[in-house]
Amino acid sequence: MKVSFPYMGTTIVYKKLLELLGHEVIMPPKPSQRTINLGVKYSPEFACFPLKVIMGSYIEALEAGAEVLVTSGGHGPCRAGFYEQVHRRILEEKGHTVDFIVFNSMFRDFKQFYSNIKKLKDKNSWLKVIKSLWLVYLMINKLDILEKEVQRIRAYEVKRGETTKVWESIQKDFDTVRNKVQVMAAYDKGRKRLADIKTYEVKEDRKLRIGIVGEIYVVMEASINMKMEELLGNMGAEVERSQYLSQWVAYNALPSFINKTHEVDIIKAGEPFIPINIGGHAKQTVGHIADYGERGFDGVIHLMPFGCLPELVSQSIIPKISQQYDIPVLTLSIDEQTGTANNLTRVEAFIDLIRGKRMKKIS
Amino acid sequence: MKEFFLGIDVGSVSTNIVLIDKEGEVFYSAYTRTNGQPLESVKKGIKELHKAFPKDGRIRGVGSTGSGRQLIGTMVGADVIKNEITAHATATAHVVPDVKTIFEIGGQDSKIIIIENQMVVDFAMNTVCAAGTGSFLDHQSERLGIPIEEFGDLALTAERDVRIAGRCTVFAESDMIAKQQFGFSKAEIIKGLCEALVRNYINNLGRGKKLEAPFVFQGGVAANKGIKSAFEKEINHEVIIPKHHNIMGAIGAAILAREYVEESNCPTKFRGFEATDLSFEPSAFECGGCSNKCEVIKVEMEKQVVAMWGDRCGKWANSL
Repeated sequence: MKVSFPYMGTTIVYKKLLELLGHEVIMPPKPSQRTINLGVKYSPEFACFPLKVIMGSYIEALEAGAEVLVTSGGHGPCRAGFYEQVHRRILEEKGHTVDFIVFNSMFRDFKQFYSNIKKLKDKNSWLKVIKSLWLVYLMINKLDILEKEVQRIRAYEVKRGETTKVWESIQKDFDTVRNKVQVMAAYDKGRKRLADIKTYEVKEDRKLRIGIVGEIYVVMEASINMKMEELLGNMGAEVERSQYLSQWVAYNALPSFINKTHEVDIIKAGEPFIPINIGGHAKQTVGHIADYGERGFDGVIHLMPFGCLPELVSQSIIPKISQQYDIPVLTLSIDEQTGTANNLTRVEAFIDLIRGKRMKKIS
Repeated sequence: MKEFFLGIDVGSVSTNIVLIDKEGEVFYSAYTRTNGQPLESVKKGIKELHKAFPKDGRIRGVGSTGSGRQLIGTMVGADVIKNEITAHATATAHVVPDVKTIFEIGGQDSKIIIIENQMVVDFAMNTVCAAGTGSFLDHQSERLGIPIEEFGDLALTAERDVRIAGRCTVFAESDMIAKQQFGFSKAEIIKGLCEALVRNYINNLGRGKKLEAPFVFQGGVAANKGIKSAFEKEINHEVIIPKHHNIMGAIGAAILAREYVEESNCPTKFRGFEATDLSFEPSAFECGGCSNKCEVIKVEMEKQVVAMWGDRCGKWANSL
């Protein structure tokens, strides 16, 4: 099968899993202005931004020859749960024939989950499937450890852009691994290369740490969020995201009675503010802000797709959390109309604000 | 010898140039229209300043702010290139030390800044529409045939209240036309317009924020008495308008330059008054490196590339 998937974050891991199972993977191009234009053209105007970008990604993947699209579903009262249906219809109307494989949590509908896995399993043995899943899970974990290091080092790099370059080449190394030994070798090499990056010495009390929270797609996909992590890094701030793939997988793959992941604590931390599930990542968003506040972060950037209902709810609760934990929060809503100059001014002023908070003066 | 710090605020509507001395007092200031030509207006402004500059004076630092801060900062050789929010807050905290809330309405954007103990703790910029900015008033004054300078005074003469829809410029305009047809006078319409603008501003920017006195109102629109009185009516409290309300951004940039130079002890990067005669040309080209097709801005000074920006990947910006 010629398989493709939405572009989000470190895509090589999805690619690797599908490759290990013997599928021909059509890599969707990284979302660019063309992707966005295509997506906006064929999507309903009032759909949220991720739907539009993913729409564009699908069209580009189909142009490249994809036959099957693998994606995740959604649950709760957020529109994301209907994405696949909307995408499917639009693509059909456009005259494409395409098959979707949609993964939802296996605890909700195990039968569907099982049949999806069987489709992807193809002629492979179950042992091979399990081995492949393990290898990819190991890869995700190692990549996330390295990425967290990247997000820290970037703030202090001497030569601007070097960390990002090294990170890109680390991902390329991981792209070629076939077994556990090679994963570990790529990981060790990556660690070493990151350690070799020349950095400025910055005193502990001068370091800034910023958390990025919000809807998963706009948080994870740098090409549509103005490269927020790089932007903050270049301004001298260490960054941590609310979403990492390894966390997402661990949280969604474990049954609740043995689920001891950090995500569970996060959702608990958010419960005083949003007690019920309102869909999307609203509960995680408020939970993460509280968590960052507790861990002494200097500030939080809250990203949301324009018109995203769950994030609008969390946005209106943020002033309360911000006050309770004494942590400044900047909300930016992102869509195809995003004017970067305006948002850049906001981010710059926000960095000044948190620096000023440290130094007890404006600048 | 007298030491000065230069602040330049290049906005969408006006270009402001100020000179402050070591104590932060304004020695010279000029407020001119940008007319869509930021480079020309700054060059002209600096030439004017040169004429007024004392013989024994020396410029020790330069700061630039406003939407054209990067371009102009590169041209004049600024030591500090700062965003408008920080620049405005710096200037206001200098003039009104106990300020808690700043309303700033400029040509094409408006901001609210919340200050505690001389520290910015929260801010917001208008997001949705230009209905809460100076350009909107400018446009309406033209339509009504009343010079913008007389706008505010006329609003104060209104006898009746009229409510104008302020959510969006287009709807506000059609609502105004309807109200004119109902027989309201120009003065009343203008007063309604001022109130709509303030209502829109407070609803949009003040949402979820605790607004506390003292309030300071600045930016070009602060010259408008109608808006000032609409603000006072809306928040039920006196609003302070600083003496140099229309050049606060530039003052802030100059103060920031002073702080930077005094802390770092670096000599200024100011290229001198003569630099305005050098050829300075920004140009844009479409990079064909990937499907993003970024519009990259290249700035050349005397045929030498001095700055590049606008590329998403940093290929050009990092190449210098």
